[in-house]
Amino acid sequence: MFKDLLKTHLFPTSWCPGCGIGGIMAQLAMAMDEMGLNQSNSVVVGGIGCTGRMAGYFNLDSVYTLHGRTLPVAQGIKMVNPSLKVIIISGDGDLASIGGNHLIHALRRNVDLAVLCNNNEVYGLTGGQAGPTTPQGTPTVSSPDGSPYEPLNLQGLLKTGSRYFYARTTVYHQVHLKRCIKEAIQWPGFAFVDIASQCIENNGRRLGFKTGYEMLAMFRDKYKRAPDGVESLAPLEIGLVKRGEEQP
Amino acid sequence: MKRLVQGNEAVFAGAVKAGATYFAGYPISPSSEILLLAAQQAARSPDFHFLQAEDELAAINQVLGASLAGGKAFTATSGPGFTLMQEAIGWGHQAEVPCVVINVQRVGPGTGMPTMPAQGDILQSQYGSSGDYYPIVFYPNSVAECYRLTVAAFNAAEESLSPVVLLSDSFVGHLNETVDLEAMEVEVVARQRPPLGTGNRFFTGLVHDEEGRIRTADALFYQSWLGKVREKRDGVAARYPFYEHRERPGHDLIIAFGILSRVIAPLLDDFALFRPIRIFPPLVRELRSITQEYRRVIVLEANDGQYAQVVEGIVHRDVIRVSVVGGRFSAERVTTALKQALTSV
Repeated sequence: MFKDLLKTHLFPTSWCPGCGIGGIMAQLAMAMDEMGLNQSNSVVVGGIGCTGRMAGYFNLDSVYTLHGRTLPVAQGIKMVNPSLKVIIISGDGDLASIGGNHLIHALRRNVDLAVLCNNNEVYGLTGGQAGPTTPQGTPTVSSPDGSPYEPLNLQGLLKTGSRYFYARTTVYHQVHLKRCIKEAIQWPGFAFVDIASQCIENNGRRLGFKTGYEMLAMFRDKYKRAPDGVESLAPLEIGLVKRGEEQP
Repeated sequence: MKRLVQGNEAVFAGAVKAGATYFAGYPISPSSEILLLAAQQAARSPDFHFLQAEDELAAINQVLGASLAGGKAFTATSGPGFTLMQEAIGWGHQAEVPCVVINVQRVGPGTGMPTMPAQGDILQSQYGSSGDYYPIVFYPNSVAECYRLTVAAFNAAEESLSPVVLLSDSFVGHLNETVDLEAMEVEVVARQRPPLGTGNRFFTGLVHDEEGRIRTADALFYQSWLGKVREKRDGVAARYPFYEHRERPGHDLIIAFGILSRVIAPLLDDFALFRPIRIFPPLVRELRSITQEYRRVIVLEANDGQYAQVVEGIVHRDVIRVSVVGGRFSAERVTTALKQALTSV
């Protein structure tokens, strides 16, 4: 039962009603259950932010690291015990901003990690500040006139090396999300799943959404499946691009 | 076999002796020899893991992860890198992760005077991270001590389940002395806690109770928790009451450590010496009783009075602060500084 992988006695979770993180947690637990991952072969590492708190709900050894430091901690774990499946769950701010340097280098080293990035385009836990993935022009509490910068191109960054795994999915597309998670965990190298997710309280309401569901419906309407085997995902396409699986 | 060994090399040999299997670090003089030795060790031994990190933030966090996964882990750095590691050292105390951090000090602040020796990170080693935490800090003054105290640092880390700091300086780190490391007998404390992948524990930098439940809104819990943390640290530190006392009744007492305690060797006919080897937690009982035997107490250090503050707070009397800063140490320079300080009292 996938619920055995969760500390359900700690529920309700600390996340706001309508948040997208719970939908990721459920799919991760189901994926792990289907893959036979458990206390004896897996570790979940979370970073600071609402998403990182997910680590504490998993019923196996987990680490809630400092802000931005999931990747180095996970890398230390993986080097000492390569047989452990190490799954990282964190937000776009943690992975791409404060932890950006580690992202570049974990990628360069092609460390065998599965990274699930809850990408809600905002710093949710600290109250809705602009982050590295906030679309240009989006108002946030720290960019009242709209974020002045282009967001980081995560796909482009992830594809800089000769071997890569980059998946984009959304919390609405639950079946696709689980498939991406499973493929990422199986990928023999650095795998990154970029999950469009909704932060209703500290982002959505400012943008005119009334409920988390309205944001999910927006994902349903806007995102389209990319054809299998494409080399690159267009904006608002879900799918995955990978290269170099055959190499050790 | 007796041979010439460098201080940094003895630190590395001590780490291996203590059972270290993981090193991550970022190159910084004057600590880099330790990183190079770790790289060589990993090339020789499949059981030893080495990672040249992308920066010091990564290095210390890789060490913390490696430790949780079951490896005895350490890093080595110098002042500016030590500063970058401070947040994670605090996390290691909160999450209870044993590891060893070696700081081969150089002149600061900032990039300072690379890589002249200094003792400017004394207070940083105790207070560098946010909040109240209680690190154990050792400071050797010889190559043989670099070896012994590195083993002690790993042992204390295991016993306290926390990062332990080994201070050095670029003089001690680059000192060459003839020693027989293989013949030195040391006790090694084995890892007790099962590694990651064996349970459902939650390792977190949030305040939590013994069952791993988060306790971030309970002031009284925090108060009692902090007291217990300190008590536990004191209990471990009590097993390492290292110091050196060279008595000279009727003379003044110099308190010095690290390289300066070696530089003053020619003066020790005229002064007593108290050398704390365990710098933190301070040797309160010893400092109080030994300083009482002397009319004047001088704290001699290569910074502007950092440990003197600590000593004054413990012995409740004024000490004479003698600072020898800027990295050039000699018996002449120290003698001049001492004379100036003693005549102006």
